[in-house]
Amino acid sequence: MSKKERRKTVQEMEEPVVNLKVDYGKVDTEPKKERPKGREYPISRSRMPESQLFEFAEYHAQDAEKIGYSNYSYWKSVWANFLKKKPAVIMSVVFILLFIFTFVASAIGKYDIYMAPDPLNRMYITPNAEYWFGTNAIGQDYWAQVWYATRASILLAVSVSVAQIALGVVIGLVWGYVRKLDRFFTELYNLIDNVPTIIYMTLIALMVGKTMVTMGVAMVAFGWLATARNVRNLVFMYRDREYNLASRCLGTGLGRILFRNIFPYLVSVIILRLALAIPGTIAYETTLTYLGLMDIMVPSLGNLLSAARAVFPRAAYTLWFPAIIVSIITITFYLVGNAFSDACDPRNHV
Amino acid sequence: MYETFDHLNTVDFDARARKILSQEPLLSAQEVEVTFSLRGNKLTAIRRTSLDLYEGETLAIVGESGSGKSVFTKCFVGMLDKNGSITNGSIMYQGEDLAQFTEKDWLRIRGKKIAMVTQDPMTSLNPLKTIGFQIQESVELHQGLKGREAKKEVLRILEAVGIPDQERRYRQYPHEFSGGMRQRVVIAIAVACRPQILICDEPTTALDVTIQAQILDLIRRLQKEQNMTIIYITHDLGVVANVADRVAVMYGGQIIEIGMANDVFFDPRHPYTWALLSALPQLGVKGEKLPAIDGTPPNLFNKIQGDAFAPRNRKALNIDFQEEPPMYEVTATHMVKSWLQDPRAPKIDQPKAIERLSETAVNAGTDPNAYHPHLDPSRETLIEVKNLQVTFGSGRKKFVAVDDVNFEIYKGETFALVGESGSGKTTIGRAIVRINPITSGEVLYKGERVSGKISKEMDTKVIRSMQMIFQDPMASLNERAKVDYIVSEGLINYHLYKDEHDRQDKVQKALQEVGLLPEFSSRFPHEFSGGQRQRIGIARSLIMEPQFIVADEPISALDVSIRAQVLNLLNDLKKSRGLTYLFIAHDLSVVRFISDRIAVIHKGRIVELAEAEELFAHPLHPYTKALLSAVPNPNPYIERNKKLLVYDPTQHDYTTDKPVWTEILAGHFVYGNQRELDGYRKEISPN
Repeated sequence: MSKKERRKTVQEMEEPVVNLKVDYGKVDTEPKKERPKGREYPISRSRMPESQLFEFAEYHAQDAEKIGYSNYSYWKSVWANFLKKKPAVIMSVVFILLFIFTFVASAIGKYDIYMAPDPLNRMYITPNAEYWFGTNAIGQDYWAQVWYATRASILLAVSVSVAQIALGVVIGLVWGYVRKLDRFFTELYNLIDNVPTIIYMTLIALMVGKTMVTMGVAMVAFGWLATARNVRNLVFMYRDREYNLASRCLGTGLGRILFRNIFPYLVSVIILRLALAIPGTIAYETTLTYLGLMDIMVPSLGNLLSAARAVFPRAAYTLWFPAIIVSIITITFYLVGNAFSDACDPRNHV
Repeated sequence: MYETFDHLNTVDFDARARKILSQEPLLSAQEVEVTFSLRGNKLTAIRRTSLDLYEGETLAIVGESGSGKSVFTKCFVGMLDKNGSITNGSIMYQGEDLAQFTEKDWLRIRGKKIAMVTQDPMTSLNPLKTIGFQIQESVELHQGLKGREAKKEVLRILEAVGIPDQERRYRQYPHEFSGGMRQRVVIAIAVACRPQILICDEPTTALDVTIQAQILDLIRRLQKEQNMTIIYITHDLGVVANVADRVAVMYGGQIIEIGMANDVFFDPRHPYTWALLSALPQLGVKGEKLPAIDGTPPNLFNKIQGDAFAPRNRKALNIDFQEEPPMYEVTATHMVKSWLQDPRAPKIDQPKAIERLSETAVNAGTDPNAYHPHLDPSRETLIEVKNLQVTFGSGRKKFVAVDDVNFEIYKGETFALVGESGSGKTTIGRAIVRINPITSGEVLYKGERVSGKISKEMDTKVIRSMQMIFQDPMASLNERAKVDYIVSEGLINYHLYKDEHDRQDKVQKALQEVGLLPEFSSRFPHEFSGGQRQRIGIARSLIMEPQFIVADEPISALDVSIRAQVLNLLNDLKKSRGLTYLFIAHDLSVVRFISDRIAVIHKGRIVELAEAEELFAHPLHPYTKALLSAVPNPNPYIERNKKLLVYDPTQHDYTTDKPVWTEILAGHFVYGNQRELDGYRKEISPN
């Protein structure tokens, strides 16, 4: 019988309501001092006969063992806190709509990205009803160019970021947890990190090729370093906690210790890094294009910006369209990253 | 050789009670209610409770975690966390109501009139500033002294708190001080401006027993010199017995019993106080169950109706579930908030264990029929540790944590390893279960070597038969995994189940075996209290069906009311499963209750090993004697008269006469050189 049921049986009894009054005089064995106000407790509301009130109640061991902790869930609180950050939420929605629109835009556009039937007469036509975003230097439809570039850049940025963070996390976990490998990874890190990445990129672009895929792979190949180092330092915090010792005592393998015991504690940091890596990759791609290390035949936001910069004051619209889109992406992920890292801090879960 | 402290002689509690009755309270908190807002909830931490504090007294507030003892006293110094506030009542001090104070008002009182000493001396000192600077800061701010004069005052204070070589210590940083010395410094800062009231919040909890006794002594001396009023917050009833004139017991955000120390210890009236005292291992009979309190302390997310203790009270009255009891006066100074005091309530006798408390011979003794595996002629050696050495670091930084340790553990016994922090006891435990690599020596399990490189089959066998229980129930469970995964981790590793259904079945059985409900398996660890989490940890190691368990301080991080549950559970499992334990602890009273044999370890070496009662009856090594003399006793009269021995390692002269590990009596080993051993032999048999 649970406590609830017990109370019910109590209330079912039709007994007169008694007013309990405590007689202090009977209890005191010595003359009492002036009793300060507030110590008299109002006693009423009891619906049990007085005789029964002072009988032993049934004992229920389960009631004592009951866990009464709040139904607090870490991730639920994170999500609820994130939703409170209106700018981040609004920008996320804007970004998602923007990404979906890149597909719609190609479908509703009048021209495809390459078609330039009469290049000489169609250079730099300012936006009008025919060419919604105008045309570019070789008379291609800028609407098609911009939306194709947006889609390509977002896909590149997301895949490169996800890949480099994933690689960084895996390496960082092993680097941090396995003491024997610490030296090896530290030296490897120093070896790669001491040479500026731009030199590697130049070499790869010149020797292997400048296609988007090649450069994407190259970005991942050097992009994991920072994440790995960050994760390694975080693993140090958790490595020798007692629950990991317990797992070692139980013979748990390395893989499961890393992914069940340590990885869950790092998720918030990893998501923050991921959110900031996406605009970072787009900016990086722009830099590489500017340095001539990216294939300019396939439109990307970097390409468009680089080309527009050259003709800036004259055909200003060629700069505005990609610039606005890059701004939206950057601002979105900056806000989302910050909002998420705030939301992940348990101190804010008040 | 020994330095002895003479404590205050027998305390006349009646005289103190008369003095209190003749006084006006120095500080009077009435109907205080403190509310916290947390994640949209309003939590009432202190539920309208009142307390009068009288000049010159030492009041101890006892309670478990979450009982509100710290929160309540933080109201007296205006140090509530920022999401908490006093929502009702008043705290009158020198004609002012502290409950209405603003931060600016507090600057006049906090530190100057009412000061506080907290638990962890490392976090209350600034590691980047010298000790001298930090005390001087307080002296300059509060006493208005400057420069050389201030420094002179600082040196005087350092001397007063018992820190030798003050000139040099003045220029040192906190990391150059030991834990006990650091706590002295914190006390020095607190008393620097001669406060009227000193609040000590668990000041000795993080310290070893021998250091604890010295700090308690220091606080007592300072109180006498400066005529301070002291509020002592603690969960340790031994400490209460040592220091308190008056004791307040808190539960569920209220004071449920308050009275002179002798009243509360020898004539407690509240069922919770009864339960708390009878659950002390010192009062338990070895081999019998301790009278444990079921369940867990109430938490603030649940609404408390009636008497907060009722759900855990086996003899609760119907009214306890419905109405909050008033404060009844037993005597003018002894008040109890329990319906049992009502004339209409049935009379219940005090538990037996409390009567034992007033007897002089605490530790009521042992069950004479108890089975002692080490005395069995056909005993089987389960674990053998030979010349074990563990070092950390290398080269110049090399640190020998464990040196030349030898012992055997027989099947079915509880072997205790006792020592202070840093003595290497945990390292030995971890070396046996192979978490820490060993430098030299070996560990044998059933005669087979398990240390160093071993075959894969042997490795699996060892993992399945040797498990460990950890100290901190908060840190030893993976917060991001469900109980189901945590408990079945070992099963998954070795695929010790037929199918998913079988695995769940085993998890539920393991949970039931440790007294938890099977449906807990789908929950996350943070939903449980410390005691429940510790039991989840025990279930996790039991599921491997081990024969030998290393229990590393399994109860030291638990609340007093929970400790008995876990001790009983360990003893039950020992009987039902024939387990063997290596029980690592620093608390000798617990060890005496639970173990068959005790090894005392000091600075990585075992200095004495004997059968539990033998060790308490005839301690030989001076370190063992010092340790035993410092064990807190819950009887205030005994505790306040105990002679404290201080161990000085330099008393041994091992330059020519080398010490050896000798069996001086059957089963009683001691570490010493020939001259010392002769002395020990004389001690055992004077003629």
